[in-house]
Parts: sequence; C-alpha cells; structure tokens
Amino acid sequence: MSARNGGTELDLSWISKIQVNQPAVLRRAEQIQARRTVKKEWQAAWLLKAVTFIDLTTLSGDDTSSNIQRLCYKAKYPIREDLLKSLNMHDKGLTTAAVCVYPARVCDAVKALKASGCTIPVASVATGFPAGQTHLKTRLEEIRLAVEDGATEIDVVINRTLVLTGQWEGSDFIKTSTGKETVNATFPVAIVMLRAIRDFFWKTGNKVGFKPAGGIRNAKDSLAWLSLVKEELGNEWLTPELFRIGASTLLLDIERQIYHHVTGRYAAYHDLPMS
Amino acid sequence: MAATRERTSAREIFNTLEYGPVPESHACALAWLDTQDRHLGHYVNGKWLKPEHRNSVPCQDPITGESLTACLQAQAEDVAAAVEAAGTAFENWSGLPGASRAQHLLRLAKMIQKHQRLLWTLESLVSGRAVREVRDGDVPLAQQLLQYHAVQAYTQEEVLAGWEPMGVIGLILSPMFSFLEMMWRICPALAVGCTVVVLVPPASPTPLLLAQLAGELGSFPGILNVISGPASLGPVLASHPRVQKVTFCGAVEEGRALRRTLAGKGAELGLALGAESLLVLTEAADVDSAVEGVVDAAWSDRNAGGLRLFIQESVWDETMRRLQERMARLRGGRGLDGAMDMGTREAAARDLAQRYVSEARRQGAQVFQAGDSLFPPTLVSDLPPASPCTQAEVPWPVVVASPFRTAKEALAMANGTPRGASASVWSERLGQALELGCGLRVGTVWINAHGLRSTEVPTGGCKESGSSWHGGPDGLYEYLRPSGTPARLSYFSENLNYDTFGLAVPSTLPAGPEIGPSPATPYGLFIGGRFQAPGARSSRPIKNSQGNLHGYVAEGGAKDIRGAVEAAHQAAPGWVGQSPGARATLLWALATALERRESALASRLERHGMELKDAKVEVELSARQLRAWGSRAQAQGHVLQVAELKGPVLRLREPLGVLAVVCPNEWPLLAFVSLLAAALAHGNTVVMVPSGACPIPALEVCQDMATLLPAGLVNVVTGDRDHLTRCLALHQDVQALWYFGSAQGSQFVEWASAGNLKPVWVNRGCPRAWDQEAKGAGAELGLRAARTKALWLPMGD
Repeated sequence: MSARNGGTELDLSWISKIQVNQPAVLRRAEQIQARRTVKKEWQAAWLLKAVTFIDLTTLSGDDTSSNIQRLCYKAKYPIREDLLKSLNMHDKGLTTAAVCVYPARVCDAVKALKASGCTIPVASVATGFPAGQTHLKTRLEEIRLAVEDGATEIDVVINRTLVLTGQWEGSDFIKTSTGKETVNATFPVAIVMLRAIRDFFWKTGNKVGFKPAGGIRNAKDSLAWLSLVKEELGNEWLTPELFRIGASTLLLDIERQIYHHVTGRYAAYHDLPMS
Repeated sequence: MAATRERTSAREIFNTLEYGPVPESHACALAWLDTQDRHLGHYVNGKWLKPEHRNSVPCQDPITGESLTACLQAQAEDVAAAVEAAGTAFENWSGLPGASRAQHLLRLAKMIQKHQRLLWTLESLVSGRAVREVRDGDVPLAQQLLQYHAVQAYTQEEVLAGWEPMGVIGLILSPMFSFLEMMWRICPALAVGCTVVVLVPPASPTPLLLAQLAGELGSFPGILNVISGPASLGPVLASHPRVQKVTFCGAVEEGRALRRTLAGKGAELGLALGAESLLVLTEAADVDSAVEGVVDAAWSDRNAGGLRLFIQESVWDETMRRLQERMARLRGGRGLDGAMDMGTREAAARDLAQRYVSEARRQGAQVFQAGDSLFPPTLVSDLPPASPCTQAEVPWPVVVASPFRTAKEALAMANGTPRGASASVWSERLGQALELGCGLRVGTVWINAHGLRSTEVPTGGCKESGSSWHGGPDGLYEYLRPSGTPARLSYFSENLNYDTFGLAVPSTLPAGPEIGPSPATPYGLFIGGRFQAPGARSSRPIKNSQGNLHGYVAEGGAKDIRGAVEAAHQAAPGWVGQSPGARATLLWALATALERRESALASRLERHGMELKDAKVEVELSARQLRAWGSRAQAQGHVLQVAELKGPVLRLREPLGVLAVVCPNEWPLLAFVSLLAAALAHGNTVVMVPSGACPIPALEVCQDMATLLPAGLVNVVTGDRDHLTRCLALHQDVQALWYFGSAQGSQFVEWASAGNLKPVWVNRGCPRAWDQEAKGAGAELGLRAARTKALWLPMGD
C-alpha cells in the first residue's frame, strides 16, 4: 500500500468545478484501446507485470479453506516455472499483488500463505460488502475483526447513499466498483477516476491508488488497463502500491498467453494448473 | 534504434514498461507496386496508360527516403486523353437510371472491402500517416461514402428532379490532401451521373490504385480517370473545354491563382483551400477532454493542417500544463506502426512546419516540442497578436495557442482570420456553447468534440477556405445544374484588360428636354434607408424606347459603393437576428405595396417599350416572388441523424453576409425583385445595381422599402454598371456577388473575386428567363443565397 493519504480540508468547490463531458470521455476510452497495443516480448513482459498487479480474488458464498488454499498457492506461483525460465524471469519472485477474500476467510488465507512461506498481503472486502448498507457500528467492527485476523488491506464499500447526496469521503485507493454490479470496471469511468487522481496529486502531492475490479477476464483487457494508467498517470503509478486489478479468472488467461508466447502453441485446459 | 529494441528482453521491458514496435506488414503494398514493375503510369479509361518520353518522379518512403516506385508525369496530351475518356463515358453513365449507378457504386464499395489491407498499407507507407488512422478511419469511411452515395443515386430521379449532372468534372488535389479527399468528391460526382478526371500530385499511388479497382469492375471504365502530374498541369485540366466543373483542393494562393486563370473559361470552380482548424476552449470546459480534442485536431494524423487554439485566460495555466503533459506521452514515428499516434509527412510538409516554427521563434513566440518523431508535435504560444505568424495559416503539426478573456472576444479573435473551414467549441454550458457555435464563421462546428465526420453531413467552408462542399445534399449539388442549362462554354475574351475594365466613368452632359413622368421619379442613390445625392454629384440620362430622354438617375461611384456596403454591414446583425417568420412578414408587406403601386410601375415599364399587358404581368409576378420567397424562408435547415453519434447534427443555412447583386438589363422589375427576395429571405443584406437601361422601376420600389424595411437592409446604387461592378467585385468586405450582365463583365467578376475568394454567380452574358418558375424562383437561387453550416451536438451525461 502507498503511504497514507494525509488528507486535506474537504473543499467541495473542487468537486463542483469538475467538468466531465461524457461523449468526449467515451471517445477517449475507445481511442486508448485502439492506439496502444504491445506485441511479442513487450506483450509477454507487460503481461507478467500485470500479474504483479492482480488482487487474486475469490468472493463466493461457498468459499472454503481448500479453495482458499489453492488460491494462495496460485498467488505465489502465478505462472508455470518453466515458462518463466524461458523468459529469464524465474528468479524475480513473481507473485500476484495480494489475495482478496471475504472477512470470514482471512484466517484461512493468512494460514495458507504462512504455510507456503510467503509474504503476499491478504486483502479483505469489508463493511457490508457489496452493498455497504449496514450500520456504521457493525461495519467498523467488521474491519477491526478482519485486521485482527491478519488482513493488511481492506476494500471498503463506501456508503453510496452519502455520495449520491453529495457527502464525500476520502481514501488511499479508489476502486471502480465492487465487481458484483451489473456494470463494473469500464474504461470511461476509469478515465474520470484517473484524472481525479492526477488532479488530487497536482493539488496536494498525495498519490492515491487505483483498482479496477470486475469483468477484467482476459489478457488483452489487462494490457489495455495498464496502458490506460500509463497514458493518464504515467509509469509512476504502475506499481502494486498504486495500481491493482481485482480479478479471479484473468490470471489463467495471462498464463495461457505466456504459454503461447513461449511455445508458439495454444494451451489446452489441462496444460496449466488451476487456481 | 529499431534494431536495439528488437533485442530488448522481456526482463528489461518488465522493468521499464516501454511500448514496443507494432509493425504492420506492407508486403502486399510492395507486391502491388511490383505488378507495375515499380513504374506507375496513369489510369485512364480502365487501362494503365504509360506513354513514352515522359519524366518520372520517385515516390519515396518518407522515413527512410528509399525509392518505392517511379511515377510518370503527365503532359497536356495525357490530360486531353483522360478528359476524352471521361467525356465518352459520360454519354453512357449519365443516361443510366440512378438504380444502375447505385449498383455500380456498391460494387466498388465491395471491391474496396476486398482489398482494404492493400489500400491502407499502401497509403500509410507512402504518406507516412499513422496506419491506425487510415485503417480505422479513412478506409471504412471510403466504403461508407460509396454506400451513402449509392442511395443518393438510387433516389436521384425522385429527390433531385429538375437537376441534371454537369458533365466531366476535373478534380485537382494538391499533396496535403489524401485519397479520402478524392473519395469525398468523386462519390457524389459519380452518383449524380458525372464522370471524373482526377489530377493527383506526383508520387501518389493510392488514388491510382482506387482507379484501378474501379476499372477492374469491367463496365464503365472511363468514369474515373486518374493522372499524376505537376501542379502546373492544374490549369491545363481546368481550362479544357469539355470540363464543366473544376474542384480544387489545395493551398489558398494556388486557389486564388486558379480562380484568376479560369475567369471566363466557362467551367464552374469549387475551391477547398487550406487545412487549418480552430478550437475554442472556455473555462466551462472539461479541460482534459478538450486537450484530447487538440490531439485529435493536430496530432493524430486525421487532419492535414495545424490548429489555432483559443484558451480562456482563467484556465490558461492549467490547460498549458495538461497539454504539455499530454504531448510528452504522444508517440510519433513510422506510420506503419500500429501503436503510433502520429506518423510523419513528406519532407515538404516538415520543411513548411520548420519554417513556421523558426519564424514564430524569431517573432518572439514560446515553442514547446515533445516526442521523438521526425517532426515533433509543436505548441506555440505568446505570439504577438500583430506578428505575421499570427495571421499566417498554421501548418501541421503545429498548435498556436492564444488567450482570450470573454466569449465575445473569443468570437472576435476566431472570426478574425481569413479562414473559415472548421472549429470546435469546448464548454459544458449549453447556452455559451451554442452562442459560440452559431457565431463562428466557419463551415463546420463541433461542440465538445473535434474532427468528427460522416457521409451525410455536409462539410465545407467560407471566406478564404473556399465555398466548395462535400458530403450530404450539399455535396451532390456541387455536381448538378438545373435541367436545361446549356453546357458551359468558354466566353473568354483576350481583349479584356482587368486593370482598366470599368475604371473610368464616362462623363454625362445634359441630354435635351426631360419628358419624364409625373409624378417625378425619385432621384438619388438609395443607401442606408434614404435617397442620397451621389458622391460624384453627377447624373446619367435614361432614355425611353423611342430614344427620348426619360429622366436622370444618380451616377454612383466607388465612394457610394463603400457607403452602401457599410450601411449593409450595419443592418446585417439586426436582419440575421430576425426570425424567418418576421422576414416573411416584411417581404409580404413589400409585395402588397408593390401591388398598390401596380399602375405606376406598369406605365414605367410601358415607356420602355413593353406592352401594357406584359408590364402588368411583370408587376404581378414580382409580387408573387416576394411572397414565395417569404414563405420559403420559413423552411430552412434541418436536423441530421448520424451513425455512431448520439445526438443531432444541425444543418443550418446561414446568410452569406453582404451580398452584391448586379441585376440584368432584361426584366428590369421582375429580375430585381426576384434576386432581392431570395437574398433577403435567406437573411442577407444587399447592395443592388438595378437594370442599366431601365433602373427607374427599381427606384420606385425603393420608396416603399424606405418605409417598410430596416435602414441599410437594401441599398440600390445606379450608375455605370461596369464601374459599379468593378467596385463591388474588388471590395474585400462583400461576401458574395451575383452578376447578370455582359460576358466581359462576367469574366471580370470571376477574375476579381480571387481577392477575397467570394462566391460569385455570373450569367456569362446569357439572358435568363425570369418569368419561368425554374429560372426566376428556382431552387438554384435558394441554393446560392445562403451557405450551409454543420453544427455537431454530441450528447450524453
């Protein structure tokens, strides 16, 4: 996580001055995807980089310790060793940025990670995820318990009732959505958020992180997200401290692409270990 | 540089997160050039034409300078062969039913679809433009253009009844215009039944490839002929007697020269000049999006020219910071790389940009450049307002930024250049955006967007950007003329001396006893709403049909014209601000006044040798014209729905401004009133020179106009027609001129209009049947009395 956002006096005139032209932002979103592609070695390197931004996530009602354990193992060994070797990347200690689970599974995740001797942080969604419509008291308690269990990062669902009525909150990291909505991380929304992050940085010197979540399923999408952040904020933001991708199946597709890059063949389902 | 990048390992890239090369293979473009043995000729009448004993010019890769192919340079006889082929093809092609032409255009669209990869790699390879723009923008649009115009051809008999194709069209492209500009113009021309000869600059293979694709459809080989040659061949093609209309896309000064050369040669001339665009960024804008608008306009290889950027002072610093930040992230380099924002251009364009930037620096400007391309994106600011670079056209890929204080000042600055092609307005305040959008004197305005285009939206310009249109209905009318119009033949007179034509006014002496009418005719020039004595303080006699002195009218001169134009300018804002309904009411009131005056007017006409019966008909027709144009004024402009755009595009019909009309000698009342009515209905203010032989009925009407119409709206100046024509044609602040007079006068008007490139309409010395519906009140008059503006209004929250 980045250094904490020290915060500033809430100045609502910043918000009222913001102008966003939706059709123009939509056009920009289309352009970034059409104008920035990477191929060959560049694609492989970028994909491996994307792996390091992933909050490898499982947020299912039927999560148990066994699939959490599998998830943690995959987080530690996201790409098959032999593939990394042929890219000369096997000694980089490549892992995902974090694992992300429900509060009740934090214990399982911490235990599994400790057992495999690795320091990947455990992130937990909390505060009445995904709606956030529970009492402040229980929400605070939820955070406290998750931290007690060993979670070092908390994805807080803000109270959107307050937002829609113009009462804002601050944060270290902003996330596009819970991943549980019908529409989740979209480019146009991300552009607006990234520009807000840049403006905040220019005004206060504080760097706020960014996490798109939900619907990012294939390798090509992840590349587009990387170039989006690179274009709007620059390379400074392309570190796990400031950029995360919340995803569950994305990693598998990235691994398939790496497999193809290394071997020149398309992988079968059973060629790659499941998470 | 490329070689070291190729060896870069994934390990390094993992740390630097650089972008890598995304090369687009151009093997097929080279293979196509090989089919011509790297030796391109011209494509005429469905065949490659490679005459002997011609010079050839190498076509070079703009980055490496490597010669890709040699291109033969046409000579006059090759031009003649192409026009011949187009002329022969016209007989067949124009006679086809629209549905058959539609089929053929659709087949060409399919042909392009089948060979699109060849098309975009070839274009990007030789032009240096970013392949992404050609592949995702130009080539699909070329297909859409054919499809759209196929539909127009299909409905032509119904929708465009009363119009016929002009004939052979000569299209001249200069180097900064791409194959897409050719498609914008050949599609409507072919759709309505014209055939085309295109003269492309040396070393432009893409138009030749398109001609080959069209030729390989088999049928109608001669409808599209492409020859490549030096700019000096332009006038040769334009002056060819079989060419009925010339469309020229190029630089302003070349257009001016061609206008002068073509005076009296017969062909119509449509000009599309320059490529500069404008962007007005207000403090109420989404600044980040507006910065993307600047990128779209100047640094994305969509437009050929540079950008003039007006930024509101209160957001100047913020905008400049964002612009510079954004520029640092632009990627420039080889056009055939799929991840480039900006490719490069041929050496001439880079030199032009370099000269402009050095000159701007010398004149005290700040220059900011970023990126590593052959010529980087450039931002120029702090140019002194009066420096030559502020006035000059901004070249690719330069953006010249200047601050403004208020929206009103932004309008004054934006309208303060002689160019008038396109502009965008960035503001989230609806009222402000529309105020600026409507106030800008340009052909296209985008609100909160820049550079959008679509087949159904007319695109063109005004002022020195030329008044030729492409796209939409306006694009079709460029190649049509009212049915039954005789072919345009040369009426060029060698003896006409432009320096002396109409320069001197013959002196007039008392010419015997006045047998004039009673009550006496009004005397004086009708300027600013009242009768004034002429500056020269002299008069000219008007004789009746028996040769007796009928009376005297004032002898107007240069100073009177100056006063009349000034008065018209002063009246313009008020008249433009009137609703069409209010304009109609005034025209109807004038019609009633005319009818009240019927007997007096008829007797005046009778004295000039007309049968009383016919004279009465003329008065009656005149009143009818006023009413007809009054009601038509209310059906102006319409809303277009455009594919892939949420929100409407308004096709507005705006007044030309101050319109000068030199009325014909024939039909002294009807022609005067018809021209006046059409001009006023469309919101113009006018300076009119009435019939020379019989000006008195027009002056009679002025008496009614003095009481009914706002002062200065209509100004009538009598006098020596050649002299007054000279003054009006050379006046830089007259926005358009209609001339109905002698052949020599027509030739002079065409020549003189090159000054401010005002659109002119001349009768080439041929009389017109003003009493016939098509001629007197026809759609042609309405078409010429206003100019189109496309206002794009994307919506979304």
